[in-house]
Amino acid sequence: MAYRANALICTCTNCISNGSLQIKDALQAEIGRRGLQDDVLVVPTGASGLCVRGPILLVQPDGIFYQRLRTEDIPYLVEEHLLKGRPVRSLMYVPPGEEVPIPELRDIPFFKDQRLVALRNRGMIDPEKIEEYIARDGYKALAKALTSMSPNEVITTIKEAGLRGRGGAGFPTGVKWELCRNSVGGPKYVICNADEGDPGAFMDRSIIEADPHSILEGMAIGAYAIEASKGYVYVRIEYPLAIERLEYAVSRAYEYGLLGEDIFGSGFNFDVEIFQGAGAFVCGEETSLIASIEGRPAEPRVRPPFPVQSGLWGNPTNINNVETWSNVPAIINWGAEWFSALGTETSKGTKVFSLAGNVHNAGLVEVPMGITLREIIYDIGGGIPYGKKLKAVQTGGPSGGFIPSHLLDMPVDYERLQEVGAIMGSGGMVVIDEDTCIVDIAKYFLEFTNDESCGKCTACREGSEVLLTLLNKISDGEAEDTDLTLLEELGEAVKEASMCGLGQTLPNPVLSTLRHFRDEYDAHIKYKRCPAAVCKGITSSPCQHTCPIDQDVPCYIGLIAQGKFDEAAEIVRRENPLPAICGRVCTAPCEGKCRSGAGGGDAISIRALKRFLADYARKNGLDPTPKPKERKPERVAIIGSGPAGLTCAYYLALEGYPVTIFESLPVAGGMLATGIPDYRLPKDILNYEIDLICKLGVEIRTNATVGEDVQLSDLREQYKAVFIATGAHKGLKLNIEGEDSPQVIDAVDFLRAVNLGGEVAIGEKVAVIGGGDAAVDAARVARRLGKDVKILYRRTRNEMPAAKEEIEELDREGIAIEFLVAPVKALSENGRLNGLECIRMELGDLDRTGRRRPVPIEGSEFTVEIDTLVPAIGQEPDVVPMVDGNGLKLSRWNTVEVDPETLYAGVEGIFAGGDVVSGPATVVDAMAHGKNASRMIHNYIQGLPVKRGYSVTRPAIDVEVVELTDEEIEGLQKPGMPLLPVQERLDTFEEVALGFSAEMAMAEAKRCVRCDKESAD
Amino acid sequence: MPKMKPGDLERIGERIKRTMLLREGESRAKVIVHMGTCGIAAGARGVMKAVMDEIEERDIDDVVVTISSCAGLCSREPMITVELQGEPAVKYVDLTPEKAKKILVEHALGGKIVTEYALAAGSERSI
Repeated sequence: MAYRANALICTCTNCISNGSLQIKDALQAEIGRRGLQDDVLVVPTGASGLCVRGPILLVQPDGIFYQRLRTEDIPYLVEEHLLKGRPVRSLMYVPPGEEVPIPELRDIPFFKDQRLVALRNRGMIDPEKIEEYIARDGYKALAKALTSMSPNEVITTIKEAGLRGRGGAGFPTGVKWELCRNSVGGPKYVICNADEGDPGAFMDRSIIEADPHSILEGMAIGAYAIEASKGYVYVRIEYPLAIERLEYAVSRAYEYGLLGEDIFGSGFNFDVEIFQGAGAFVCGEETSLIASIEGRPAEPRVRPPFPVQSGLWGNPTNINNVETWSNVPAIINWGAEWFSALGTETSKGTKVFSLAGNVHNAGLVEVPMGITLREIIYDIGGGIPYGKKLKAVQTGGPSGGFIPSHLLDMPVDYERLQEVGAIMGSGGMVVIDEDTCIVDIAKYFLEFTNDESCGKCTACREGSEVLLTLLNKISDGEAEDTDLTLLEELGEAVKEASMCGLGQTLPNPVLSTLRHFRDEYDAHIKYKRCPAAVCKGITSSPCQHTCPIDQDVPCYIGLIAQGKFDEAAEIVRRENPLPAICGRVCTAPCEGKCRSGAGGGDAISIRALKRFLADYARKNGLDPTPKPKERKPERVAIIGSGPAGLTCAYYLALEGYPVTIFESLPVAGGMLATGIPDYRLPKDILNYEIDLICKLGVEIRTNATVGEDVQLSDLREQYKAVFIATGAHKGLKLNIEGEDSPQVIDAVDFLRAVNLGGEVAIGEKVAVIGGGDAAVDAARVARRLGKDVKILYRRTRNEMPAAKEEIEELDREGIAIEFLVAPVKALSENGRLNGLECIRMELGDLDRTGRRRPVPIEGSEFTVEIDTLVPAIGQEPDVVPMVDGNGLKLSRWNTVEVDPETLYAGVEGIFAGGDVVSGPATVVDAMAHGKNASRMIHNYIQGLPVKRGYSVTRPAIDVEVVELTDEEIEGLQKPGMPLLPVQERLDTFEEVALGFSAEMAMAEAKRCVRCDKESAD
Repeated sequence: MPKMKPGDLERIGERIKRTMLLREGESRAKVIVHMGTCGIAAGARGVMKAVMDEIEERDIDDVVVTISSCAGLCSREPMITVELQGEPAVKYVDLTPEKAKKILVEHALGGKIVTEYALAAGSERSI
């Protein structure tokens, strides 16, 4: 029968669990219905590797790759593609972050960059058809070995190929065979170790499911080489499909005489038996595996003697893993030289990895040794989903280690992995993003090995228990510094004193994370912080834990859900003196870690809810500020009235201190007043919150520049303590020719001038350079002034650091962004700017942050006609006149150097915080500095130790969870922010975001999953 | 079943070689039958069947037959396109089963373009 097309449907365990058998049936039925049964053959195959996209269908000879199929897609697919020859684009693979589908499998990066040796037949043959294996050179290598090679020639070929054990340890396979062959005694045995046990690893299962004969053929060749006539496949009972296919393959091979007696008339006999293990991790260790086959308890024994000397029933036994065996026929067929041409100096051939974790294209990949981790994760794996940052790559399962993101460019081979504290292992590769806690994942692996320890060696049995207890202490925030030393010492001891690989490697996840991520352990122990906001014992809820000013988010959201707005506003006020401001311009790191937003979901609109409360309080004349303590005599001076200064002043005033703020500008608020345009933060809102702080007795002296109008040394005499919080208001230079033209106005200067209401002399055609918030603000302000404005940015939209919602509004307001453009030279004529020479860029290699680096395209220079240039590429503090002669130290970025924990500036009585210390950062970071400074200044004045205390995050009060009705649950949806229509915005500075109504706020609050209520214990 | 000899592997493989070639998507020649509504209405199925039968009859194992949609020239259907490795594709128009067989033999197998039925050389580029 001649077919014109084959429809290859993946029937690996993963795809079957996604319904691929139903797809297969539907496909067959529809093909029959359309009368195409003689044209199109439906073939069930093993895994294609891109398991995460299953069920998967490949239509040959067209090469079209379909993914995520549903049975209801099948009639259309059959009609369009198989009947009418029109491939269905809507069912094709679309790379992450792109829109155009890739029709053909060979063009999809996931497949394109792989090199298949062990998996050479995957997706190409029906694993239950021995004829198809044979048609793809199956059993040819066995025939070649038996009829034209001596056993020694086979061993020499494998040795010369440089094949090393794929089970993890990487021992040279040919050498092992030779040792076994030279061992005295018999009968000898070969064993295939298919006891794949690493969590998340499925290389071996996939090879067996896709191509069972390749293993049988490899084993037969090995048996011939060492003169064995019996082989065992030790496979765990948890792999039913693999066992079924393997058993069937064995029976078919016997029928064809490819197993059994006198194979190919060569006189060589070989029998294979399948042994089903019960699924104990320790059985992956060869001496335990042998004990298990022998019917003894699966426990390891001391080596030597090694199994090649004394193995199964005391006879020489050669054990290799599934992937090793499946490589063997390919080497015999195509030669040692062909194989050793692949890979690195010490590691030849390819390696199969099961790529898992936080990566787009999770699945099974086979790559040449020596490929970089970056290629595997970004080119093949498609990178990290949801715009998260890569933290580490874990290889080798529970015996392996963690490789930090800065080592991504290292080539993958046995030696390099070992150097960085990881191992090749059997091929588990787990990608970990910023939302994964290193301590937590080390704990996960330890829990696994602790469970799986067979108990024979005390070091392994008890050591894993103690290691786990220590890790639990750390993740609960109850550990001390000395516990890290103990972890390390105990880890080394367990390695030394354990008999088998399980115990010898189980401390690796702990030791390698301590090596590369010690700061994360320190954060848990010293600062009671879990940077990924995962460890329940410390975090309570990720939003509260992540907030730099400890906003008790679940409490106020819970109260909103109950309609108790007054109480909610009071909870917000406890930790935040500027809620209406934060409710508008905070970068909301809380939302980035929100559980509702995990895995691509919609984070709760925490910022909008806070704004709702602040606006509610203001409209209803509510002032939830607590009553200040009794007035104290010690006066404090604060320099700068931005978010850091205001927050510090508020808390000092509540403590009873008389506070004076010195502000060099005519208005209070710092960057809040001069850097953020009115349409994002109206002045009346800003002034309302400043007024509330002034009501506590805080005095703000405007037009008072320290270093000019008053000297820092005078303040030190008149005030008990000084807090410097003058921000970072000096724009960075572009460093291009012609930049000193008067029509080049920095974004900060431009925004300040507009905000202060003065005359702003800019031209009609404006170009803003940059991709951050200042660039977007400057462009939208220029637009509101009626100017023709565009943004030039050297990278693409994906890399823009500005807030996403602000970029969206920029688009709506019709402001163009030219991407991949960098300025080269500002052009002037007769002293007036009249153009900007630019160069086009392209995205090159990824840099260390995982973003692709912009590289100029030679000869692509062009000129943009403009009369005003607004650089917005960053700011730095400008503090020299103020701090001069006062003993303060400045960093190379012109920031004031302080003790990062206490903000003490190293000069008696002087503290500093906010952007002047950190460089340009966020409003909430500055507020956190202000809050911390107020406590440190209080301690300093009261003669208490100036030392910061740290505690775990806990809600202030217990807020009950609102029970939702079924109807309410059904209707849960993130509300969009009501906005001022575009046509009404463009000639005013009216606020764009209008805020939630009470109904919207309550509905959104009810969507919160209240993860704070999950118990830590 | 009698004992296998090494040569038997070839024989077993040979039996399904054509299927495997199809599956590997590699072949010396590719015959594309345009099967849009227009093509089918004009008799493309008969054209395809003729080509398939001829392949079966001659036991040809390195020519792949596949279908595609309307080529845009509905008035000249049935149409086929023949692609030889490394040569520009050729489109044939106004076909009958007999003409199609001739094209298969002379062009796909023999490498010589059947100019009397050919429309033009070349194929459109898509994404």
